[in-house]
Amino acid sequence: QNTITWRLQTYAGPSLAAHVIDPAIAMFNQIAGDRMQIELFYSDQIVPTGELFRAMQKGTIDAVQSDDDSMASPTELTVFGGYFPFASRYSLDVPVLFNQWGLNEIWDEEYAKVGVKHISAGAWDPCHFATKDPINSLEDLKGKRVFTFPTAGRFLSQFGVVPVSLPWEDIEVAVQTGELDGVAWSGITEDYTVGWADVTNYFLTNNISGAWAGHFFANMDRWNELPEDLQTLFRACCDQSHYYRQWWYWGGEANLRVNGTKMQLTTIPDEEWATVEQAAVKFWDEIAAESELKAKVVDIFKRYNAEMQKAGRPYRYG
Amino acid sequence: MIRAMAAYVHVVDAVNYRIGRVMMWGLFVMMGILLWSSISKTFFLPSLWTLEMAQFAMVTYYIVGGPYSIQMGSNVRMDLFYHNWSPHKKAWFDAFTVILLILYLGVLLYGGLGSTAYSLGYWGDEPVSYFTGLLTGSEEIGRLERSSTAWRPYIWPIKAIMVFGFFLMLLQAISEFFKDIARINGQEIGVSRA
Amino acid sequence: MSQEFIAIFMFASMMLMLFTGQRVFGAIGAVATIAALALWGTGGQDIPFSAAMKLMKWYPLLTLPMFIFMGYVLSESRLADDLYRMFHVWMGPVNGGLAIGTIGLMVLVSAMNGLSVAGMAIGATIALPELLRRGYDKTMVTGVIQAGSSLGILVPPSVVLVLYAMIARQPVGQLWLAGILPGLLMAGLFILYIWIRCRIQPELGPTMEDAHKVPRAEKIRLLGAGALPLIIFAAMMVPFVNGWTSLVESSAIGALAALVVSLVKRRMTWKIFEDCTKQTLAISCMFMWIILAALGFGAVFDGLGAVKAIDNLFTEQLGLSPWLILILMQLSFIVMGTFLDDTAMLVIVAPLYVPLVGALGFDLIWYGVLYTITTQIAYMTPPFGYNLFLMRAMAPPEISLKDIYRSIIPFVGVMVLALTIIMIFPEIALWLPGYVYGN
Ligand code: NA
Ligand code: NA
Repeated sequence: QNTITWRLQTYAGPSLAAHVIDPAIAMFNQIAGDRMQIELFYSDQIVPTGELFRAMQKGTIDAVQSDDDSMASPTELTVFGGYFPFASRYSLDVPVLFNQWGLNEIWDEEYAKVGVKHISAGAWDPCHFATKDPINSLEDLKGKRVFTFPTAGRFLSQFGVVPVSLPWEDIEVAVQTGELDGVAWSGITEDYTVGWADVTNYFLTNNISGAWAGHFFANMDRWNELPEDLQTLFRACCDQSHYYRQWWYWGGEANLRVNGTKMQLTTIPDEEWATVEQAAVKFWDEIAAESELKAKVVDIFKRYNAEMQKAGRPYRYG
Repeated sequence: MIRAMAAYVHVVDAVNYRIGRVMMWGLFVMMGILLWSSISKTFFLPSLWTLEMAQFAMVTYYIVGGPYSIQMGSNVRMDLFYHNWSPHKKAWFDAFTVILLILYLGVLLYGGLGSTAYSLGYWGDEPVSYFTGLLTGSEEIGRLERSSTAWRPYIWPIKAIMVFGFFLMLLQAISEFFKDIARINGQEIGVSRA
Repeated sequence: MSQEFIAIFMFASMMLMLFTGQRVFGAIGAVATIAALALWGTGGQDIPFSAAMKLMKWYPLLTLPMFIFMGYVLSESRLADDLYRMFHVWMGPVNGGLAIGTIGLMVLVSAMNGLSVAGMAIGATIALPELLRRGYDKTMVTGVIQAGSSLGILVPPSVVLVLYAMIARQPVGQLWLAGILPGLLMAGLFILYIWIRCRIQPELGPTMEDAHKVPRAEKIRLLGAGALPLIIFAAMMVPFVNGWTSLVESSAIGALAALVVSLVKRRMTWKIFEDCTKQTLAISCMFMWIILAALGFGAVFDGLGAVKAIDNLFTEQLGLSPWLILILMQLSFIVMGTFLDDTAMLVIVAPLYVPLVGALGFDLIWYGVLYTITTQIAYMTPPFGYNLFLMRAMAPPEISLKDIYRSIIPFVGVMVLALTIIMIFPEIALWLPGYVYGN
């Protein structure tokens, strides 16, 4: 019997992948043994990240780890990928939204329409600014060229931020060559892990989202060809990857804020930051007005956050 | 036969020459965009579009200008042995290996067509029948792919330009093939533009 | 098919196409295409095109046409003539002085362009005829010009270091600064060699008696010509190092600066302008198409597991120490440089080696400098090397191919010495970037 081989490309570069995907794939390969092996490729290694979706749809790449936004998904869900401003406060919000509030079903259905299997969603880190110059007020955001997610960039541009998109692996260098003033892409754990903390000086503690939402996907035909037990094993390993990130980021964020030495923390006062939160409410409505499906997802976000508010501490404080 | 090939070579070389002569000024388009980028960010707010626009210009410059560079003979060959061969022998080897070059360009072109069809909202596997369908009205334009930058330009124009360039490059490679065939038969077709 | 076999098959068939004279990009692209169609499985046919999208996103490539244009403006508008005369009158009275002055000229020319081609053209058109007329030994002269022009890619700006930076994901600014002192060290060693050699054999580089007759005022005026490269260099590097402009913007400023200087000096005619523009397209296309093909080749090679096979060979099967692996890699570059085009080598081979070098714990900025010097050696060593070809094309008939081959031997020796010194003392490369960027 021939070994089934898959090529999986992640949107993460090697240093980040060492945490967010390497262990899960190593586990899969160890258990599946001669029956199936997954070859892992990092950010832009085979195809550029912007072409990742199309490559998976056509079968050039068998499986992908990415958010909808980064891989330029053609579905209407793209806008919710990565960081949808203020949609979640904690990383546990993401699996709850997907598993208990119906997002899984929506994602499964939309991706099936374009020939791609949505396997599962998980949470990553919160979204903060890491910049060369300090940000102490909204005024400081003006004119900053920042690497960020497309949707977050669209949202932030109303505050004078100039969003720039470059290949993920080029970011560290681009900050040094002056193409960028900073990043609004991750929490502090990732800033340290991938080297951005070495090229920026300041970390803004206000975040525009509590957790990134990202997924595993596969080419539909490749997925259907797998025997059921290998499908189950693959799902289990994806869940392992989600679980690892859950504690790795949560603990890492607190630890590096308190004990990290490479970045100085700054904060925009709550009253001033409230402007951004209010703008997000408006932004949600704008997105909801774009289509029925988007309205449906925004509605889930609204109802979910209202319920969390009602539940009180420790779900929401104030 | 040779006469038909000579006619093809004449037309293709002339067209690619004219296009290349225009493309070479694209250098200053890139320079202008980059200079505007420095100026705008020093004196006003940085522009959203400059880097991406410069990239589009660069791609247009080298892909559409490619056939002219072939005419100028500027694509290096490893002339360790080749250098000492007679024109006849060179033509023989070229005629074979240029077929492989044509294969490469054909696959580039086909991949480009698929990707362009995708950027127009076609998600199937047969780009050629999609484009014919577009012409006959049996297919339509769907979701337009946009760049995932804040500027969010539509992607199909640059992909279409790339496809156009690869097509010209393919025509030029075929022209080179015909020149080799003629040379093998002891004839010289086309004019040197080096 | 085993991964080792795929690796060998792909390299061997590429070699076959290269040896039979197909254009380098065609050979690489065709092998990538055939391997993708035959071995990849579903969707392999899309890889060559997806490489074109990847290339588009490599924004530092925008510097390529800018630096190429700069080089052409410098050589075609003969901006270096005054510079050469400056060295001529100041260095003339020394034994071998004109050759030493030529190295000095090459250092300044290097600071104004990103490739070795421009240095070669300037050396061959301005310095070579003059040196021969003054009775310099012809092998000494061709060696000096080839060695000197190789400084072009070590002294910033440097296209090779831009390409390396993209592959190694290292900051271009630091790499450029890291190249300066090694470049000067190498120039210094060249000068030392010429000086010593001409002390022993004065007939190789006779002194220039009439240099004494040049009036002092004229000598001082010519010194002013030395300011020219400084202006162009500063216009480009100062805003860049200070972070006012980005890398690609700085390259456009550099190209503009060269153009403005040539206009101010009234050396630019419409014919020269058109010619520079045309040549820039030709050379840019050559580079870009090789990179396009090589990116496709790399993706197929990687996706088929051949990269892993090579990694495995170096790190596990051979069981060598990190330093030995590093030295073997440098040697393999020189061996490959005997038959492989250097842009192709950079885009195909460097991605295999660089991660390995990083994993072995070496500094990738420092390795960038080692890599550049090694490619310079490969440029110059027969049978295949850009500098050799250019020299052959530009040299007058009395200089035979054998002379050219012979001429590079001592200079390659000096370069190997420089390489060894920098391997032993990494601070030579790393001190300046550390000082400027403060870490
Ligand atoms: Na240089
Ligand atoms: Na060589």
